[in-house]
Amino acid sequence: MAYGSLVAETALPSRDPYRGKVLRPARERAFWPFLLPALALYTLLFVLPSFYGVWVSLYRWAGPGAEMEWRGLRNYQALLRSDAFLQSFANTFLLAVAGGALVFGITFLSMMALRHLKGRAFIRSVVFLPMIISAIAVGAAVGFLLNPGGVVNQILGWAGIDGLPWLGPDLVFRCVIGGLVWSSTGFYIALMMSAVDGIPPHLYEDAVLGGATKWEQFRHITLPLTWDVFAVAAVLWVVNSLKVFEIVIAFTTGGTPGAPPLQARTVAVQQYTVITGGGVPELGSGAAMGVVVTLITIVLIVLVRRITRRESVELS
Amino acid sequence: MTTVPPVRRPLARLVGDLLLPRLTAVALWAWVAFNLALVAWVGLQSLKSSGEVWLHPFALPASPAWENYDSAWQAGQFSAAALNSVVLTALGSFLIVAIAAPAAYALSRSSRRIAGPITGFFAMGLSIPLQTMAIPIVVAKLSVYTFMEDWVTGWWDNRITLLVFEVVLSLPFAVFVLTGYFRSLPKEVEEAAELDGAGPLTSFVRVIAPLARPGLTTVLVLNVIGLWNSTLLVLIITPLPEERTLPAALLNLYSTMQYSSDWGGLFAGIVILIYPMVILYIWLGRRVVEGMTAGIGK
Repeated sequence: MAYGSLVAETALPSRDPYRGKVLRPARERAFWPFLLPALALYTLLFVLPSFYGVWVSLYRWAGPGAEMEWRGLRNYQALLRSDAFLQSFANTFLLAVAGGALVFGITFLSMMALRHLKGRAFIRSVVFLPMIISAIAVGAAVGFLLNPGGVVNQILGWAGIDGLPWLGPDLVFRCVIGGLVWSSTGFYIALMMSAVDGIPPHLYEDAVLGGATKWEQFRHITLPLTWDVFAVAAVLWVVNSLKVFEIVIAFTTGGTPGAPPLQARTVAVQQYTVITGGGVPELGSGAAMGVVVTLITIVLIVLVRRITRRESVELS
Repeated sequence: MTTVPPVRRPLARLVGDLLLPRLTAVALWAWVAFNLALVAWVGLQSLKSSGEVWLHPFALPASPAWENYDSAWQAGQFSAAALNSVVLTALGSFLIVAIAAPAAYALSRSSRRIAGPITGFFAMGLSIPLQTMAIPIVVAKLSVYTFMEDWVTGWWDNRITLLVFEVVLSLPFAVFVLTGYFRSLPKEVEEAAELDGAGPLTSFVRVIAPLARPGLTTVLVLNVIGLWNSTLLVLIITPLPEERTLPAALLNLYSTMQYSSDWGGLFAGIVILIYPMVILYIWLGRRVVEGMTAGIGK
């Protein structure tokens, strides 16, 4: 370390002393050439299109080639009056809150139990597994089990309980939330446990001597010391729960072809239905939904950060 | 050595020391068993005739019905979809790393004042939901198609549009994670390479990239998983059967189940979609988990 930086300091000024006004190491001269491809692609095809979306949301438009008709904010007003959108919005909100409570409840319990459980590395990696599996495949496989005449209802039938229409309009959204919790909790467990691993063990030893139960150790040591990572994880959950799409499509495609029932639509699904569903595509309305989702994402991020800001503890 | 804590607060001890941790442990093991069983069960189901799939969902296949794979491959049009998926995933994740790595390297090593804000600018992309981009992407797709067909090449393939947008949408995460990773690498080696007269590109390709291989592999694998499973963009950009990827093909196969009842074929399709990723995960699992969580945890 010391040797390397010494060499760098003494050697760099003598290198190539004639060229350039400012002497910079090669990696500094390569700054723009290295950065530009990524920066240009990202700016031109990601950031600018996002703003373009805001612009489109002010028009009524069926797509390129069609006339654009100025609507001002009326697309947004129409959204606020549209039952379908409000329902999808309420669903997404329910998903974020109820799903978040379940995900982090399970994560916290796991953080308490996993610290000295045998085979914890194995548990962590298998629990993470659903994260890498396509939600469509999960939906198709689990949808088979939950079908009206499917295995789950058969088993319930043996137990003398009437089968339930799990994927019918009334219950499907609960199955979606369950599926989402199943598939994404492993990620948050892995994330939080990597923070738990960094806590010095002597803290727990002291607590055990003091007679603290495992729950109290979690409550008074683990949680405060991983609170910063939890704050990040909570933001991630909010951002991710607003984009939930595949699993809804997968769960609702099985029995009923066509658009998912209103009860199961998230905002992402609703937007997809508006863009691709039959009839004249309403690009302006779809874009307005995107803008609303972005605004809500920002509000929720600020809110979550505000809620999670306190209680952070620094180890000195 | 053995300081037994005084037995007081029996209830707190019962709940906090025994009940909660034990129950959670049991639940976690049950969860593990469920996940493993699900993956294995899907594989078994894919080898049964469609009747068996329904009637004996938990029995072993009477005789392996490999024709299920044939039917998914042919009738489900998985052959074209698999090719599309492989090309999109391989090319896309390579491009993502090839574009993001130099940028992340430049950002992590620069002393310029602008480097910080640009890093933040990339990080901002992480919180822009895909929905904001959906309409612009639809418009871009249609316009590019007409433009290229009418004025430039005389033809266009929407799969190129898909590839471009998959790459661009993955850039923020890749740049963000890799910037953090490059920061954690020592600077001495590249300084030595520069002293030996290596130009920036040479020293990047010959010295830094090999040094950063673990981090680059992680980001590559994460993007392989992401692109392989990506569905929404595929549904928006390439709805045609010959242009879509495996998740879209499976979705399509699934929605025809009502009429075709080829359940064996459906499970074969599920296996084709998930087993490659399961194998990749078994092979590089630890790294995947660490990579997915590393960029965010710190």
